[in-house]
Amino acid sequence: MRRQIGKKGDKLISVYWFAILVIVAVGIVLMVNAFYGNPYDVRQVEAGILADNAANCIYYGGQVNPLLFSTEGVFRPDFRDNFMKICSLNFSVEGEFTQVPYYLEVNFSNGVGNFANSFGIMEGNSNLRPDCNINVANNQNLAQCINKEFFMKTSSGTIYTVKILAVVSKVSENTNG
Amino acid sequence: MIKKRQKRGEILVENIIFLLLNVLFLTILIIFLINQGNGVSTLEDAYSKEIALLIDSARPGMQMTVNMQSALGVANKNGVPFDQVVLVKGQYVTITLDQGKSKSYQFFNNINVTGYYPEKDNSGKYNGFYFFTFSKKT
Repeated sequence: MRRQIGKKGDKLISVYWFAILVIVAVGIVLMVNAFYGNPYDVRQVEAGILADNAANCIYYGGQVNPLLFSTEGVFRPDFRDNFMKICSLNFSVEGEFTQVPYYLEVNFSNGVGNFANSFGIMEGNSNLRPDCNINVANNQNLAQCINKEFFMKTSSGTIYTVKILAVVSKVSENTNG
Repeated sequence: MIKKRQKRGEILVENIIFLLLNVLFLTILIIFLINQGNGVSTLEDAYSKEIALLIDSARPGMQMTVNMQSALGVANKNGVPFDQVVLVKGQYVTITLDQGKSKSYQFFNNINVTGYYPEKDNSGKYNGFYFFTFSKKT
């Protein structure tokens, strides 16, 4: 009788052991699916590269792009008009109804700490800009924004503050949403 | 005496079965984890984004080599020639690791991807690396 109880107990332990294994397996499968099911979100990196490319195009190695200023030292409007070509950028998308997933804004202000813009460049889909002002905890389904700022010294000695805002949406490619 | 022997035998068989099932369980779990990490969809997503970001950072005259050894095995398994895994067309990079399946990612750098091809080792087999060269768009 004693032995029989012991044997039943062993079998009972085995059943519980496998029940635990099944629970562990289900847990691992769910966690792995949650991890690999989400695509890699590279939008912050991408926006950073976009901002860096724009910055390097405007001011590289201590030299201002010679196409930015006229001989009189004023901003050239044709730099703004040909900004995409000058800076080797191309936001064109495939498909007729596909929205451009990029937005780039560059603002120049005279001096340091001056908030009045002397010159501005805007390229891409401006509808993405409001996403940068939304402060929510889970902003994965919004466009990702990067702000960069640097000072630029021209050959005449004038200092400008350059503010760059780069925005990348691509929500469907980078999230499950 | 005979009873005792039979009893010992039963315990041994039970234990072996129990251990085998445990090993089987762990094996299935490990295979599942490895397959998830090397899944077609995961690799296509990762490589398309990696190459698109590399192109975005590239400057004319640059040469880049991308390690795609994980993709080589998957492409071979699915019957996709390794020299057809990467496609750069327009402003998009497309990665194909399975017949009829692919993933594209857009890049913004207006640069000419002059050449991209898989490298081969001394024996003429693909070594899993892709070579990219860039030039200025005219």
